Amino acid sequence: MITRRNVLHAGAVLGAASAFGSAIGKRSWAQGRPFTFCSWGGALSEVEKMAFVDPFAKEKGIEIANVSPTNYAKLKAMVEANAVDWDVVTVGGYFIYTGKDTNLLEPVDYSIVKADHVAPYWRTEYGVYTTTGASVIAYNTDAFPEGSRPESWADFWNVKDFPGPRSLYSRLWYNYEAALRAAGVSKEEIYPATEEKMKLAFAKLKEIKPHVSVWWTAGAQPPQLLSTGEVAMAMAWSGRVAAAIHEGAPVAMTFKDAIAWGNAFVVPKGTPNRDLAMELISYAVSPSSQERLLPVGTYGPILEDVSARATSEQAKFIVTHPDNIKDAVIQNDAEVSAYVIKYEAEWQKFQLG
Amino acid sequence: MVHTLRQTSGTTLTSRENWGTLFLILPALVFIASWFLIPLGQLFALSLSSEAGPLASYAELIGSSVFRRVFVNTMVLACIVTIICVVLAYPTAYLLTKLRGFWFSVALYCVLVPFWISVLVRTFSWMLLLERNGPINSFLMYSGITTSPINMLFNNFSVYLGMVHVLLPYAIFPMYSSMLRVDNRLLQASEGLGARGTTTFLRVYLPLTMPGVLAGGAFVLLLALGFYITPTLLGGLQNLTAAMLIDNFVNERLVWPLAAAASFILLGLVLGILALASKFLSLGSLVGMR
Repeated sequence: MITRRNVLHAGAVLGAASAFGSAIGKRSWAQGRPFTFCSWGGALSEVEKMAFVDPFAKEKGIEIANVSPTNYAKLKAMVEANAVDWDVVTVGGYFIYTGKDTNLLEPVDYSIVKADHVAPYWRTEYGVYTTTGASVIAYNTDAFPEGSRPESWADFWNVKDFPGPRSLYSRLWYNYEAALRAAGVSKEEIYPATEEKMKLAFAKLKEIKPHVSVWWTAGAQPPQLLSTGEVAMAMAWSGRVAAAIHEGAPVAMTFKDAIAWGNAFVVPKGTPNRDLAMELISYAVSPSSQERLLPVGTYGPILEDVSARATSEQAKFIVTHPDNIKDAVIQNDAEVSAYVIKYEAEWQKFQLG
Repeated sequence: MVHTLRQTSGTTLTSRENWGTLFLILPALVFIASWFLIPLGQLFALSLSSEAGPLASYAELIGSSVFRRVFVNTMVLACIVTIICVVLAYPTAYLLTKLRGFWFSVALYCVLVPFWISVLVRTFSWMLLLERNGPINSFLMYSGITTSPINMLFNNFSVYLGMVHVLLPYAIFPMYSSMLRVDNRLLQASEGLGARGTTTFLRVYLPLTMPGVLAGGAFVLLLALGFYITPTLLGGLQNLTAAMLIDNFVNERLVWPLAAAASFILLGLVLGILALASKFLSLGSLVGMR
């Protein structure tokens, strides 16, 4: 029988085998392994490899191993066993704070990481954001043709004027932000997440729950559900919707009311390559590296002045473009990491119905 | 093998035979001790290592109404899946004993081939079949049975369907092997003594094949309790199982003592069921021996 554990185990065996293979090829590394970059895999890993990792390796004249996927439990195990195999890891933003609280991360050394030009919310004590995306409202274009398209979370909640089954993410984050926007809370007042606002968010979510036919767990689900017509409207990750649009699926999205978030680089505690890891982070947020993200059309830059240079065609898929970010809520990951733990039981109760 | 063991254990073993037996099972003993018992002990130690005190994890879990509901839901799900599997498997196993030659091979492969295909692949296949615009709904609407698509995905129905599909062979094979061992002359004798078909079935055939039914049912129940992929992918928001909760503790919240404690509670339940089952049948018949 296949369980997640078997899959993880098989992955670990494969990983060990490939590490062994590369170790034979390159015996010269001091720590017995190359400098290693770990990310989620798929489109994100490809983008990071192209824009940051490969050019950095070339400039430094070193070889960098790319591995995937990121796994927080594995990271914890590595750090606790003092056998850190990953030097730089891409994580979801809230893990900067979870990782800090559980003592798993090196603080970012801003004497090496040149990030003064980065907006304060994209650089933090224990991690630096390097790419951005958004949780957006996406819809099937047959269900909502030109002229009757949803443009806000209020529209998403309005099942009378925008009929059809919905899909939302299966966790509390994004939903908290979207529900408050639907309830008419202004962008500036979403945070801090107080008891009162959380109550309001849950009340709003209970309201939409009967119309949500799928609570998705994987980013690939919403574009699939939308293009087959399983749901008419969904919360979705912008990069995934962009990919579906490029393939010609009858799907569209809006950055109006988007919840913008970033993928962050962190450094596991105890890596033997700490300084080089910091250099990679610095390299990734430099304007020249960030500019390579413009034509990609899935994950965008963190630097708004770089995003501003995007062509109008490119800007359609970049949340940090000035035309888009002005209508977006920027997710506050410090808040998220606190409220997911505080309201976990509440969310599970909501799940069970 | 089984028979020789039983015969020798009935008589006094010479010391040479004793050593021989020990030597034969030694590799298995070492393997189980080093790869099962020791890690299990470590897991138990981990479950007691919460910062708030040794039993804090257990107290947190048992004190949480959400956790209790998830465990009850998991038990109910496993029990219903088991009942469906047993009811479906019994006639299937009976059919397998009656078929011969070509048709036997066909039927056997119908049971075996899905068994060999990855659970993940089968789960995704169900998603494609059951979706709103999938082939089943298209057929139902085309033939006029329904006018609008039926919601068959992301609810209890799809979870039961997916799990029964995966677990059915585990119920069929123990039943099949116990049915094969039924001596046909007993059935003839029953008939010869004037019993009708149903009486023969209820008083002779069913009791004789009961160990297989219980073994198959116990297999399915134990596996269903730990199911992860199928309820995750085919279930809705409310189909939260114990395995999904443990995954959340391990991979997202990184509270491993809590995950270990939840695993031990699940293990305790499983052992409880095994103990109960062993009251009705010997452990040997659980794995298809008699």
